[in-house]
Amino acid sequence: MKFDIIIIGGGLSGLTAGIALAEAGKDVALVSAGQSTLHFTGGTLDLLGCDEQGNYVQKPLEAIETLNSKHPYKKLENVSSLAGVAKKLLERAGIATTGNETSNHWRITPIGGLMPTWLSMEGMSTVEEPNQMPWRKVALVNIINYLDLPTKFLAAGLREKGVEVDVKTVTLPELKELRQSPTEMRSTNIAKVIENNDLIAKLADEVNGVASEGYDMVLLPAVLGVTNGDKSQQLLKLINAPATYVATLPPSVPGVRMQTLLRKRFNALGGTFFTGDQVVEGIFDGNTLKGVKTAKLEDTVLEADNFILATGSFVSRGLVADYNHVYEPALGVDVDDLGLDRKTWAKIDVTEAQPYMEMGVKTDSELHCLCNGAAVNNLYAAGSILNGHNSIKLLDGAGVDMLTALQVVNNIMK
Amino acid sequence: MTKENNNHYDVIVIGGGITGAGTARDCAMRGLKVLLVERHDLSTGATGRNHGLMHSGARYAVTDHESATECIRENMILRKIARHCVEETDGLFITLPEDDLKFQSLFVQKCGEAGISAEIIDPQLAKVMEPAVNPNLIGAVKVPDASVDPFRLTMANVLDAQLHGAETLIYHEVIDVLIEQNRVIGVKLRNNHNGETINAYASVTINAAGIWGTLIAKMAGVKINMFPAKGSLLIFGHRVNHMVINRCRKPANADILVPDDAVCVIGTTSDRVPIETCDDMRVTPEEVEVLLAEGMKLAPSLGTTRILRAYAGVRPLVASDDDPSGRSISRGIVTLDHEKRDGLAGFITITGGKMMTYRLMAEEVTNLACEKLGLTKKCETATTPLPGSEPKEETKKYSFSQKAAQGRHGTLNESVDRGDVSSDALVCECEGVSVGEVRYAVTKLHVHNLINLRRRTRVGMGTCQGELCACRAAGVMCSDDKGAQKAINDLSGFMNERWKGMQPVAWGDNLAEAQLTAKIYQGLLGVDRLANERRVEYYEI
Repeated sequence: MKFDIIIIGGGLSGLTAGIALAEAGKDVALVSAGQSTLHFTGGTLDLLGCDEQGNYVQKPLEAIETLNSKHPYKKLENVSSLAGVAKKLLERAGIATTGNETSNHWRITPIGGLMPTWLSMEGMSTVEEPNQMPWRKVALVNIINYLDLPTKFLAAGLREKGVEVDVKTVTLPELKELRQSPTEMRSTNIAKVIENNDLIAKLADEVNGVASEGYDMVLLPAVLGVTNGDKSQQLLKLINAPATYVATLPPSVPGVRMQTLLRKRFNALGGTFFTGDQVVEGIFDGNTLKGVKTAKLEDTVLEADNFILATGSFVSRGLVADYNHVYEPALGVDVDDLGLDRKTWAKIDVTEAQPYMEMGVKTDSELHCLCNGAAVNNLYAAGSILNGHNSIKLLDGAGVDMLTALQVVNNIMK
Repeated sequence: MTKENNNHYDVIVIGGGITGAGTARDCAMRGLKVLLVERHDLSTGATGRNHGLMHSGARYAVTDHESATECIRENMILRKIARHCVEETDGLFITLPEDDLKFQSLFVQKCGEAGISAEIIDPQLAKVMEPAVNPNLIGAVKVPDASVDPFRLTMANVLDAQLHGAETLIYHEVIDVLIEQNRVIGVKLRNNHNGETINAYASVTINAAGIWGTLIAKMAGVKINMFPAKGSLLIFGHRVNHMVINRCRKPANADILVPDDAVCVIGTTSDRVPIETCDDMRVTPEEVEVLLAEGMKLAPSLGTTRILRAYAGVRPLVASDDDPSGRSISRGIVTLDHEKRDGLAGFITITGGKMMTYRLMAEEVTNLACEKLGLTKKCETATTPLPGSEPKEETKKYSFSQKAAQGRHGTLNESVDRGDVSSDALVCECEGVSVGEVRYAVTKLHVHNLINLRRRTRVGMGTCQGELCACRAAGVMCSDDKGAQKAINDLSGFMNERWKGMQPVAWGDNLAEAQLTAKIYQGLLGVDRLANERRVEYYEI
């Protein structure tokens, strides 16, 4: 089988590249193991939330200038324009967002903190200024028995910022089924139960019943709309007061929805999606990657003119650390292990910057992967698999995923 | 406790490990008025940092006949009185090609002399009985080893002590021993949560503080020659073996693999360490290497099994008084009557020994205390079941989490609220801990924070090491706005405490899991940013 481009990895980065290339008329195949770390996010995307000193950033574009030269953003030709392209790409996939790259806004974390972010999915609760809450009195309405929205922390966090908060709970008889087995009372299961319009209307009635008047914001757990945003928007419209969603503990319904919509968009554009499969071998000819073999397709070689490696970091198994070394398991390209041996990969204090976070594959200035020190001329890397940045400390994960993917697309299209 | 006349006891027991808990129980059952004090949480020291092995005594049969006979006797007693803390797994002592098979016959003979049933079995049969065992074994002996949950066992002893009128003060540290005219009359305690100090008085003060007993003795002006021996262990992410696997040779490093609950534990190393380091034991990369290499000889599949965490405890070994060099260190029980030994009345130290023989240690020291107090009531701890291990009722039909709680609390499981929507909600999927069980632990089992909760219910001990359950449990435990900040600090500390055990083994799936946890707790929730206090116990103990 032959394609123009084969993308390895079906997370935010791989799908961004896949959609952009398919929109440009390319014949694209994507090989995905199936999971994405979007499931562990909160319906928001970060570009750069912190500088290297750990201070929150208000103007990400300015702060990006101050990052050290190893950071993947330093390989982007124009951060600002790529960020704009990313936002529009999401929009065409049915993912409407608020926010822009010139100024961060603030998302509410599930335990009541405020953290800077770049784009928030429509309906998510955000504020413009961390020191100036836009609400006087808020109703925080949770579903009875749903433990993944820690309402006590959330309420305490908001009260500390001067907001009056009433915590309320609602339920629907239809959720009784889920409660029979306590392991089932999780966000994505709730979303699957509350799918039809009647139930959404009933839930809205319940919410209106407990938050009838006097509230200038009703906050709800983001547990509606796995497959598309319509259901979650519909509920908000039926609530008498202004209403928005707060992110929950994983799995994140907005995150799953984003993944689903991106994949739908890729399919609609004619992309080929090999799901539940993984690349196990690359067939190289000198400095060119000819094709890849996957676990499921056995002897079939998938060939392409260009390849993009977007399999993520350790958590996604894009990088693997064994007892003695760190390697990239799909193609065996060069990994930057910072020159450290195992004893120094991780620091004793969990809140310190962990060295392993900055490990990743090595690339040249055009994001080509290296193999035995030499650039592979048709193999690029994008997203969290790249070395040189700590996405937990810098809050730049989604930005690196999307923007490096778009830069790779530009490099391929040149 | 602030009024001077309310705080006089017959006995003060120092140390909330298994020895102190067992001693408090025995004293209380003999009718004494007892105060048990512990500077941190119950089972914080060596009690919570061992294999969870219920020795048959076979390990000591060749080298230490006395310990071996004590072990098998106590082994049989614990099966009866602590049924809900024990899993009757049996154990194998295997001989590998590199070992001397001649040792096996000596071993079996010595086991027989100590009263331990030791049956030589065909290596082929051993492979059938325990498929995880090294297939190259050339000899196998079956013995009555078992596994025991030390957290549960300690809690059960404390609960029974309380049922017999004992008082318990955890997070109360002895900062001085009060002495009047060559007699210990009590202790000065500091509340480690708020810094307040109080005095408590007793006719007899029993020092059961494990390795830290040497520091207590120093406060009383007496010297005990202790040899802190660090033992490191590794926990694996699932239960590879279902029988205890030992090496049939003289005791050495990393030659015991114990199945505990849903995991298994390999250990230990043994190295003398300075007493000052005992509050912050960390496992070194070299120890990890030894444990893995030796562990794979017992069960080769350990090499491909995820390691959940590494931890270390300190054995309170004592050298006899006439041997300051420490060459003749025994693992036997040491009861020091300081009145006879040092001319200091009202003060006894119980140390040495093993978790296995805690009940016997308690009996010995309680006998001595009773003698000093002129009491003759006999010890009944060997025949009275612990709370949770009373005779079985009819088996009811239980859900997953109810069964899990039944395993943890035995018959006390009846005290866990259930049947309503809010109590049945599941906090921890790995270990099946419900909201009701969390509430029960908070009200009945001395739970002040997430680490206490982990020791009582296993929250956060499963394969995810607290990925989501820690946050859920913190939410359940938190009471009001003021409590919320405290709970977030607690959550942050708990994640660091979990990391302390993961960091020495941070590769493979463990590193991937650590990255996910960091993504959730720091990236999504921002716990590290919201926490404003770091409690030392999460970082050092």
